[in-house]
Amino acid sequence: MNFLTLSTLSLSLFILPVSAQTVQFNIEGIQHDKGKLYIQLFKGENNFKKGKAHNEAIVNAKKGQLTVTFNNVEPGDYAIRYFHDENSNRDFDNNMFGMPIEGYGFSNNAPVNFGPPSYQQMTFMVSNVTVINSSTVNY
Amino acid sequence: MQRREALKSMLGLSVAAAACSPFPALANLASANEDIMAQFATSFDKAVLNNPNLIGLKSMSGDIPWQNLTIEGKLPKALRGNFYRNGPAVHQRNGQRYTHLFEGDGMIQHFNFTDTGIQHRAKFVKTNKYTQEQAADKFLFSGPNSKLPGSLPVNKTDIINAANTNIIPVNGELWALWEAGSATAIDASSLDAKGLVNLGENTRYGNSLKGLAFSAHPKIEADGTIWNFGSTVTGDIVLYHLNNRGITQKVNLLKTNYRGGMLHDFLITQNNILIILPSLDRDKTDERLFSAIRFNNSLPMKVLVIDKNTLTLTREYQVDAGFAFHFGNAWEDTDGTIRFDASLYPNCENLHHMSDLMRGKTSDATPANTVLFTLYKNGSAHKQTIAGISEFPRVYDHLTGLQNNLLVTLSSIQSDVWSDSVRVINVNNGKQDTFVYGEDFLVEEHVIVDNSHQEGNGYLVGTALHVPSKRTCVNVFKVGHVSDGPVCRAWLGQALSLGFHGNFLTL
Repeated sequence: MNFLTLSTLSLSLFILPVSAQTVQFNIEGIQHDKGKLYIQLFKGENNFKKGKAHNEAIVNAKKGQLTVTFNNVEPGDYAIRYFHDENSNRDFDNNMFGMPIEGYGFSNNAPVNFGPPSYQQMTFMVSNVTVINSSTVNY
Repeated sequence: MQRREALKSMLGLSVAAAACSPFPALANLASANEDIMAQFATSFDKAVLNNPNLIGLKSMSGDIPWQNLTIEGKLPKALRGNFYRNGPAVHQRNGQRYTHLFEGDGMIQHFNFTDTGIQHRAKFVKTNKYTQEQAADKFLFSGPNSKLPGSLPVNKTDIINAANTNIIPVNGELWALWEAGSATAIDASSLDAKGLVNLGENTRYGNSLKGLAFSAHPKIEADGTIWNFGSTVTGDIVLYHLNNRGITQKVNLLKTNYRGGMLHDFLITQNNILIILPSLDRDKTDERLFSAIRFNNSLPMKVLVIDKNTLTLTREYQVDAGFAFHFGNAWEDTDGTIRFDASLYPNCENLHHMSDLMRGKTSDATPANTVLFTLYKNGSAHKQTIAGISEFPRVYDHLTGLQNNLLVTLSSIQSDVWSDSVRVINVNNGKQDTFVYGEDFLVEEHVIVDNSHQEGNGYLVGTALHVPSKRTCVNVFKVGHVSDGPVCRAWLGQALSLGFHGNFLTL
C-alpha cells in the first residue's frame, strides 16, 4: 500500500470549479515528532457520519504546530478530524474500553467533553474566501 | 491497517469513546446557564456558620509539613510504621463548589509511628488537574457530577482523575486510587506524584490498558497478589490480576450490560472474584453521574462469580434488591458455598446524601447494616442482618479472600451526620465490641494492624475529627478491647477534611 506522506502538505487532488477555495488547517499542541498525523476533510454531515472523506492527508508529526492545506475545495459545509498515529502502526489506538489513547482533534477546535463533539460543533463554511481553521490535539 | 481503514476508524472510535466513557455525555456542558457549583458554594458557606459538623467538608488550603502530634496515653511499642490515608480535600475554589463529596482533589495524610511518637504530614496528589487548577486558583474542569460552565475539554477520564479515594503500597511506591481512571504512582518518601500508572506497560498488553478504570478497592492477598476491577457506565467491566510487584499478569473484559453507573467495591474468595451489581438504574435525562443514579427496588442485586484463573464468568446469583458501597470480605467452603458481607443499604439515599452535604444540608438517609450473605451451589441465597449501623468494613489483611471471624466497621449511635463509633463484630455469633466516640466526633475508617496473623491480636488505627476543638486525632485501640477506648490518641493542630480509605504499613 502506498501512503501519501508529506511534512507540510499542499494537496490538489481534485479538479474543481473555479470558485473552489483553499482550506488551511492548523494543528497545534503536537507533543512530539514521532509518527504521523492522519487528517480527513468531510463535506456535509452525511458523509461525515458515513466516514466518506472528501479529501485525506497524512503528514509527518512535528512537535508544536503544523499546517495542512486543502486546495480547490468547492463551496459547502465541511468538517475535519484527525489523529496522531504516535507509534506509526497506521491505526488509531484505543484501550480496552474503546477510548482513544493517541492524540486526536477536530476542526473549530471542537471540544471533547465526556464524548466527541457533534458535527455542528466542528463544521465550517467554504464560500468565496480562503478558510483558516485551527485545532489543538487532545492527548 | 491500511490508510483508508485507519482514517475510517476514527469516527467509530470517537463514538465508542462516548459510549464507553465512565461518564455520561455532557453535550451541553459549556452552555449550562445555571452555575450550580456557585449555588452549592453559597449554600455551604451559609450552612457551615450554623452547623459546626460541616467543618470536615471544608477544603484544605495546602500541603501540611511534618508536625509532631500531642499524644495522650501510650503508643504501643509494637506499633511502628506508616499510616497513609487518602480523601478529597479541595471541594471549593473561587466561589464554586463541587456538587458531590466524591469529586474533590485527593490529599494524602501520612502518620509516621516511631519510637519518638507520631508525626503527621499531608500532601495533595499533584495530578495534572490539581496542578492546573491550583495555578489558576479556580476550577478549570467539570467533575463527574459537577457541570462547570466553560469547562476545559474532558476527553478522557484521567483528565479529571482526582486520585482521592484510597492509597495502597505497591512495590516500594504508593498508588493513589480513584474509581474511574488510572492509579497515580506516589513516591513513598516525598509523597510526590510520579504520574499515572499504565498497567500494560512492559507487558503483553502494551497500551491497551492505558487510561482504563482501576477501582479504588483492589483486594490484596496475603502474598501481595493484587486483584481489581474497573467499570464503565455501559456495563463493561475489566478484571485485573497483578502480581505482588504490581506487574499485570492477566486481564479480561466482561460485557455485563449493567447500567447502574455505580460499582464501587468487589470481593475475592480463594478461587473466585465476586462482582456485585447493585439495584440501580440511571435517569437518562440527568447529565450528572451520581445524581442520575436511582434505586430500583424491582431489580435484584446480581452476584457475578468469576473464576480467578480464567477471569471468566462461571455463575450468577440473584439476591434481594439493595445497594452497597463497601464489602468486608468473602470466602468459600470446601463444598463451594460462598459467603460474604456487605454494608448494605436498602436504597441509594446515602449516595445522594453526600451531594446534599456538599451544599450544607444534612438529611436522614437510611443507613447501612452489616449483612452476611450465603450463596449455595444450588443457586439459592440466604442473608442475615447484624444489628447496628455499618460502614467502612475491614478484616485482617492476611484473611483477604479467606474465612474471617472478626469484622471491623464504623457505626453511628448518636450522630445522624457521620459515623461516631468503631466496633469489632464476631460474624459467627453477632457479638459486638463497640467504642462510641460520641457525637462530637466525625469518625473515619479504622484499619487493623497486626503482624501475628491471629484474629483478636493487634491494633485498630483510625482518625476522627473532634468538632468542638476543630482538630483531628489518630487513635489506637487494642482489637480485643475496643470498648475500653483508645490506648493512645494523638492530636493534630488542625482539622483535616474527612477522607475515605487508607492502609498501615508496618516496619
